[in-house]
Amino acid sequence: MKKIRLITALILGKLALLMIKLLGKGKGTSLPGRLALKISSEIIRLGALRVKKGIILVTGTNGKTTTNNMIASVLEESGYRVLINREGANLVYGIATVFVREMDIWGNRSFDYACLEIDEAAFPVVLSQVDAGCVVITNFFRDQLDRFGELDKTVGIVANALKNYKKTRLVLNGDDPLVAQLGRTTGQSSIYYGLEKYLDSHFVPSSVSEGKFCPLCGQKLDYSYYQYSQLGSYSCTGCGFSRLKPDIEGISPQFKSYSTSCLIEYSSSERIKLDVPIYGIYNLYNTLAAFATLNFLQINAQKIVDTLGKFKPATGRMEIFKYQDKSIFLHLVKNPTGFNQGLKAVLAMSENPLDLMIAINDNDADGRDISWLWDVDFEILEECQERFLSIVCSGIRAEEIALRLKYAGIRSSKLLIIKDYNCAVEMMFEGKGGGAYILATYTALWPVERIISQNAQRI
Amino acid sequence: MHREFKGTFKICHLYPDLLNLYGDQGNVAAITRRCQWRGIETELHFVNIGDMVDFSEMDFVFLGGGSDREQNLMAADLAEKKDSLWKAIEDNLPILAICGGYQLLGKYYQTIEGKIIPGLDLLDFHTIGGEKRLIGNIAVEIQLGGESHKITGFENHSGCTFLGDIEPLGIVLSGYGNNGKDQREGAQYKNVIASYLHGPLLPKNPLITDYLISRALERRGHPWNLKPLDDSLENAANEFMLGRMLG
Repeated sequence: MKKIRLITALILGKLALLMIKLLGKGKGTSLPGRLALKISSEIIRLGALRVKKGIILVTGTNGKTTTNNMIASVLEESGYRVLINREGANLVYGIATVFVREMDIWGNRSFDYACLEIDEAAFPVVLSQVDAGCVVITNFFRDQLDRFGELDKTVGIVANALKNYKKTRLVLNGDDPLVAQLGRTTGQSSIYYGLEKYLDSHFVPSSVSEGKFCPLCGQKLDYSYYQYSQLGSYSCTGCGFSRLKPDIEGISPQFKSYSTSCLIEYSSSERIKLDVPIYGIYNLYNTLAAFATLNFLQINAQKIVDTLGKFKPATGRMEIFKYQDKSIFLHLVKNPTGFNQGLKAVLAMSENPLDLMIAINDNDADGRDISWLWDVDFEILEECQERFLSIVCSGIRAEEIALRLKYAGIRSSKLLIIKDYNCAVEMMFEGKGGGAYILATYTALWPVERIISQNAQRI
Repeated sequence: MHREFKGTFKICHLYPDLLNLYGDQGNVAAITRRCQWRGIETELHFVNIGDMVDFSEMDFVFLGGGSDREQNLMAADLAEKKDSLWKAIEDNLPILAICGGYQLLGKYYQTIEGKIIPGLDLLDFHTIGGEKRLIGNIAVEIQLGGESHKITGFENHSGCTFLGDIEPLGIVLSGYGNNGKDQREGAQYKNVIASYLHGPLLPKNPLITDYLISRALERRGHPWNLKPLDDSLENAANEFMLGRMLG
């Protein structure tokens, strides 16, 4: 009976996928799974049984998609058959959709590994249905508060799910106290990754920094340095909880506008050089998370760095396009920490002047509350606004982002409100800047990406 | 006559290290910029746990909300400053209190379990913890300086506030407001404005910002009209949300 339900669910789900594809409506990353789950509530559990070597779950606020895609790409390159939700559809329906898409209709096809990135809120549900070989947790930042309540609650959801789970292995960001504490509170054995202090580590926290207090005892946390947001070297003034030397550590990172490199120390004393074609410290953390996971899965270190050296970012994760001679950057923004990193990337660009577009939507997937825009440090643009000929504000809440920029000190004459994506992207193509940068929230990203990819070359 | 205000406009941001949720620091940015755009010099005072502050010296005070743990820390600290705060309120100091900060000014907060957490007891209202979180966009019609205006924001609270002998900030047109039952939103007493509206409240609703600045200048003995600013962007953002909620 279970089997019949499963087969029916798979067939219907696959039909839905086909329909969505034929109609050209949406990405079909959620509805097929939703339908299939209605018929067989066990589709995730039964699908997961077809994964032979191991299921890897990636959760946390930022970097899930990049980390997960990195892990999967190395496993695939190593000859394994991998099931993955590559497009970042990371809620329960999205996970179910992956199984619908990848399984044959009899539900018999098998895989070596499954790499699943999972939204923090959906994490307990998915975890309870699969036998996870390892769980990667990237970081915890403030994100879409209207959905979760508060950050403490989000951390609690993940912690509780792991506490009540059978034995697994955690891969934890040792530089984020909110993540690292899970090694102590969940009773699971853990591997930590982190980044050593380097030239740009700083001594003052950013304004949106979380983790001012010890997640274990509530006393104040002291920092000897910060990498970004609450990531850094912390130690608790009360209980002594502190950053330990991680098992996998990045050393002497170098950030160029299109790539990032560092040495990785692993297995106590071995070192290997890593050079990835993506920008920024947060991507370096994602890379270290992937390396730590793959090292745990006993993939050869040279194989890992060689494959990651050719890594292509997913849609909107600092993607680069060429339109005639002009580089167009596309980057997803969804919370203050990620947005701040995006703005730093914009300012790190060598092209002058620049065209900038920011598209903000407030659909469910973006977070209906856009107050967080006021926690983004747009003020760093004020001093260098001459670098921008104009800033195009787009998306459903275009007026609001324009208003935010006005109160960050950007002159109103530089702010253009163009709600229509076609016209807004056209401004980026035809703008007089040497390069264009587009930052967009989740549901604005996809239509914008479609317009760009129809007209420009993906690099 | 738009005579110049010669002094420095002192803005007090209470517990910015603790209460930095939901973009509420945008309220401080709004007051600061709208003073500066009128040539009024501003001075920003951050007051954190254990810091001394003389409220009578301030021209505007902002009190936001935080997560439970942070809220408790600041409540204990602010309790020690209560007398000076009360004197300043009676002396017409403009204060904006949002969400958790709003609740704290009242008599008490009763948790779902029935536990009573005393408030500062400065204003006549109390809050009762609810099972359901009241989340979503909100539109409110307010009376300010004898005029009626429609304002918008985003609310996200589980506490339900019930007013005693005190005026609401306004009447809910769409959304929940204080408790989802009596159509009231926020509270106002003298120059204190308390509200559940994030968004943040002041940037998109410049008339409240300017009202607070005007009252502050009046308190300093400069009772004149503020120079008007170009608010087309502010109004466009507000009107878009009004249109969406009220049709």
